[in-house]
Amino acid sequence: MSRHSFAIMKPIIKAEGLGKKYYLGARETVAPTVREAIKQTIAHHAGWRRTLPIVWALDRISFEVYPGEVIGLIGHNGAGKSTLLRILARITRPTVGQADLFGRAGSLLGVGTGFHPDLTGRENIFLNGAILGMNRHEIVRKFDEIVAFAEVEDFLDTPAKRYSSGMYLRLGFAIAAHLEPEILLLDEVLTIADAPFQKKCLQKIREASRAGTTVLFVSHKLTSIEQLCDRVLHIQSGRILEEGKPAAVVGGYLNQIATEANGKDA
Amino acid sequence: MSASISENDQVIVNRSDAAIRQLPPVPVIRIRPSRFWENIDFAELWHHREVLYFLIWRDLKVRYKQTIIGAAWVIVQPILITAVFAVFLGRLIKVPSDGIPYPVFAYSALLLWTFISNSILSSSYSLVVNSQIITRVYFPRIMIPAAAIGVRLVDLMIASAVLIAMIIYYRVPLGWQALMFPIFIIHIGVLAMAIGILAAAFNVHYRDVGTMLPILLQAWMFASPVVYASSLVPARMRSWYALNPLMGIVEGSRAALFNLPFDWTSVAISAAVTLGLLLLAVHLFAQMENGFADNV
Repeated sequence: MSRHSFAIMKPIIKAEGLGKKYYLGARETVAPTVREAIKQTIAHHAGWRRTLPIVWALDRISFEVYPGEVIGLIGHNGAGKSTLLRILARITRPTVGQADLFGRAGSLLGVGTGFHPDLTGRENIFLNGAILGMNRHEIVRKFDEIVAFAEVEDFLDTPAKRYSSGMYLRLGFAIAAHLEPEILLLDEVLTIADAPFQKKCLQKIREASRAGTTVLFVSHKLTSIEQLCDRVLHIQSGRILEEGKPAAVVGGYLNQIATEANGKDA
Repeated sequence: MSASISENDQVIVNRSDAAIRQLPPVPVIRIRPSRFWENIDFAELWHHREVLYFLIWRDLKVRYKQTIIGAAWVIVQPILITAVFAVFLGRLIKVPSDGIPYPVFAYSALLLWTFISNSILSSSYSLVVNSQIITRVYFPRIMIPAAAIGVRLVDLMIASAVLIAMIIYYRVPLGWQALMFPIFIIHIGVLAMAIGILAAAFNVHYRDVGTMLPILLQAWMFASPVVYASSLVPARMRSWYALNPLMGIVEGSRAALFNLPFDWTSVAISAAVTLGLLLLAVHLFAQMENGFADNV
């Protein structure tokens, strides 16, 4: 069984000092009215903002990902995994640092993004496919495959609002799975799927990786992480705490959880 | 039961060298913090052009499914408004309409007015309505308000059929000048885009915009020669009046349809104001779009 030595290759993702800062309690949400906005702006210029607590959701991290690698991101809720994916997917900008991607990224950060409840399954495949970055010809070409993967053949002309949550999820994942981007960003999307479909999805991710797709994968399902990934990053408080072979990093993470639990008991 | 892969189909990572694509020498995507002055990335707009089409298609499709008379609403709205103004302003107050039958006179402008006011309103809330998409997937955000305006442009095309019917009914003689009418449609489309994307961007940060807009729009309508002819405006105020970019468009399109002399000065002023607004709007939008996902 030959494994690539990724280190001698040129990275497809190169992040340097990537950081995202949020001010707690200030303008992190929308100002509901002009009055609030004026108050906040005054507060900001008067220097109140400097005294507000700062949170580095992502604390200036650097890393490289090599073509075809499957990277797992693990860590507690709020550790910064999703923030990292959101920055790489260009949904939000970093506060500091930079990242260069040497390929197009496709992301699945939520299932069925842009699905319209009044549109049929067929219509939603086209809409969602276009939103995720496919062009019409690609969608037409992969249409049957998507439908078969999602197992919604009989419901193609039913409005999505009558879909069960399982069907909704299957269709959403099926479309994203047929994107074929160079970089695939997946955020904890499979947790709600049933066991057989999860297995099918993991299989699909593996196939994509074998075909050369680079995958970044957030999951709390440590077994999938261990089986699927070439390398795992354990993220805590916005920093990379540990990085390396899946078994070692997942083991370290489990130990940490155990220690934390003991600490609470004591 | 867990969905983990069982022992016997253990993952074998064995990629062929050929499967790993050649990387381009320069990054395809550069991710950087936002700068003070953002430029518009036309290559990105082109790359994602199909999103625009599908967003317009979605809105038209959904409207058709949710309403009983579907597309007919697009015609009903300007016709009803025209009827109201024709009775009160045309019949009772006898507002001058440059010798053109008042209903055609009013409808020709109300058609354009309905387009621009609906465009601005629907694009103003477009980003907020599509927040789920904005927080989960990337494409140039300008596509969202642009699609809202695209839908209204389709409406305008449909409502134009009624204008043609009225022109025939009232036996309005058309001249070669009528060929200028589509140019004014493009002009008003650009103006709608400029104001629409500004309203959309500001509405993400300050929801007051959405509340204020209907009032501002109403005022704007009466400040434009929609239901009256601009000859009603005193001569000494005309140069100020022409700063309203809608004035050149409405008067210009009327001149085109009804064989009246063009007031090229007001058309030129309107074009300049529209272009200025568009440049400002596009740059402000590019600046503000970085914060949409965090604020919407």
